[in-house]
Amino acid sequence: MSSLKLTDVRKTYGKLEVIKGVNLEIKSKEFVVFVGPSGCGKSTLLRMIAGLEHITAGDLEIGGQRMNDVDPSKRGIAMVFQSYALYPHMTVRENMGFALRFAGVAKEQIARQVDDAARILALGPLLDRLPKQLSGGQRQRVAIGRAIVRNPQVFLFDEPLSNLDAELRVHMRIEIARLHKELQTTIIYVTHDQVEAMTLADTIVVLRDGIIEQVGAPLDLYDDPANQFVAGFIGSPQMNFLAAVVTEKTAAGTTVALPNHGGVRLTLPVTGGSVGDKVVLGVRAEHFGLPGAGDADLTLNIDVAEHLGSTSYVYANAGGEALVIEREESRHEASSETITVSISSGKAYLFDSKGARLR
Amino acid sequence: MAQARLDRRENITGWVFIAPALILLGLFMIYPIVWSLWMSFQVGKGMNLSFGGFANILRLTKDPVFLRALGNTFTFFIFQVPIMIVLALLFAVALNDSTLKFRGFFRTAIFLPCATSLIAYSTVFKSMFAIDGVVNQTLMQLHLIGEPISWLGDPFWAKVLIIMAITWRWTGYNMIFYLAALQNIDRSIYEAARIDGVPAWARFRYLTIPMLKPVILFTTVISTIGTLQLFDEVANFTAGTGGPSDSTLTLSLYIYNLTFKFMPSFGYSATVSWVIVVLVGILSFLQFLIARDRRTS
Repeated sequence: MSSLKLTDVRKTYGKLEVIKGVNLEIKSKEFVVFVGPSGCGKSTLLRMIAGLEHITAGDLEIGGQRMNDVDPSKRGIAMVFQSYALYPHMTVRENMGFALRFAGVAKEQIARQVDDAARILALGPLLDRLPKQLSGGQRQRVAIGRAIVRNPQVFLFDEPLSNLDAELRVHMRIEIARLHKELQTTIIYVTHDQVEAMTLADTIVVLRDGIIEQVGAPLDLYDDPANQFVAGFIGSPQMNFLAAVVTEKTAAGTTVALPNHGGVRLTLPVTGGSVGDKVVLGVRAEHFGLPGAGDADLTLNIDVAEHLGSTSYVYANAGGEALVIEREESRHEASSETITVSISSGKAYLFDSKGARLR
Repeated sequence: MAQARLDRRENITGWVFIAPALILLGLFMIYPIVWSLWMSFQVGKGMNLSFGGFANILRLTKDPVFLRALGNTFTFFIFQVPIMIVLALLFAVALNDSTLKFRGFFRTAIFLPCATSLIAYSTVFKSMFAIDGVVNQTLMQLHLIGEPISWLGDPFWAKVLIIMAITWRWTGYNMIFYLAALQNIDRSIYEAARIDGVPAWARFRYLTIPMLKPVILFTTVISTIGTLQLFDEVANFTAGTGGPSDSTLTLSLYIYNLTFKFMPSFGYSATVSWVIVVLVGILSFLQFLIARDRRTS
């Protein structure tokens, strides 16, 4: 159970900078998820914390101690890999106890610790099997067990559920959440799946191109994204982005026109932006209302409608701009050719042409 | 009925397709093998052969040259194979390290010997290890030895030279198998071990070696077969004599001499050939037995 601090951490390979100055504080017992598209540097950052990658510049502190040049095994961390990284020729019991043999732990003590971890993860009946005799989910549990046995201060998870099928992924997600509650340790978890991030994290760190885009609680990121990238990345289906132009600035806020929707106007309680600016209006799929219920109405041509029972997703467009609309208990959209929806200015976001949020 | 006829025709077509290969294999491999087994029970010189039962096997037990050759072959096998396997493994692990500079050069350099011409390398080795050769001169200048070693004249050093030569030639060949196997091991297994505080020696001993076990077994069996059939180096270094005084004579060289150099005794040399077959069989079986995975058995 330990806190972590990253100060202007950088990583370069030759001339290529992949981590471009990361500042982050992680509190003790916190469940932090690094999320971002592939190539954003989230795994590299995790491997730098683990000590598998050298830190080019900046400081890494774990529990108040600088760890940049400390051997991975002495950082008080344990890591779970995407590929499980189990030792293929050892039984589950040997896999979990292997590291302790070199830490000078007595045999009986190893057996006890392995049994404890096995109980937490319900691995008891599998202890004498080889990894190849286990399913993917079981292997991942063994990998987690191997980490638990070492009683680390910080757990690192590198996309642990990516190799599992959808059903098992949901199951293991719940298992990991339960584990965090039970063990009360600091966890840093890397994923490209924003649903995993939303469901597991106390704090989400959104990364893009080696920099942190936003840090915050899952729902804070959802409700109050710092920029267009975070707005688009967090939430499923993705937030809709509509081209807009600032037409007027008043005491009530900023008025924008939507050129793809016949120039319909909408005033948002936002002070940023100046008249004539090309901006982007962001609206989440579930925030479209019934006609006349909001501040502006849009009429769209329906492309496809997906009815999932309780929820329907309507894919529609206007002027070549594709939008997705979420509807509750409404199943008739496929039969009609157009749909009229409303936007409420209080539930819309405005971004400038560079993607920064206008507030 | 029609189906049965069709099946038969398909069968015949199949056999016709593989017939050329089968006939050639039968003629040039299976027939000679069976014939050599029959020959091994024949006694007599040249073409003057007659059935002798177990006479040749009895002769083996009383033939000091054969026993000498058998002993030499075993000496080569016992020292050379383990040295080469361990060296190949160490080279492979070292060359698998992605931080090593000039990896490609070292890999090629270590692999190249097995692709060089036997005659060329034998000639170079002979000149290097001559009394006034570069090896003796270097060792003398380093004051490691007082007087030159007679590499080809001393029974002990002649064996050492042969072992060095075949090790030099075949280590790279075995290393390639290990390198290929090492590159198939998931890197995160080693990373997990590093994070878990498993020291480097233990990663080699408890992770690398067990994971390479099938390849180690394969190369050991192949090398065993190769060493039991050792002929080339001995024949070239000693001008076919296995000297000095039979101290490097191997079974294969003895077979060659029995057949083509002495008054030919085809029957007896066939018997010695079958000794090699039986030895390879026994040793391979033992190696499989030792390497067997106790857990799955």
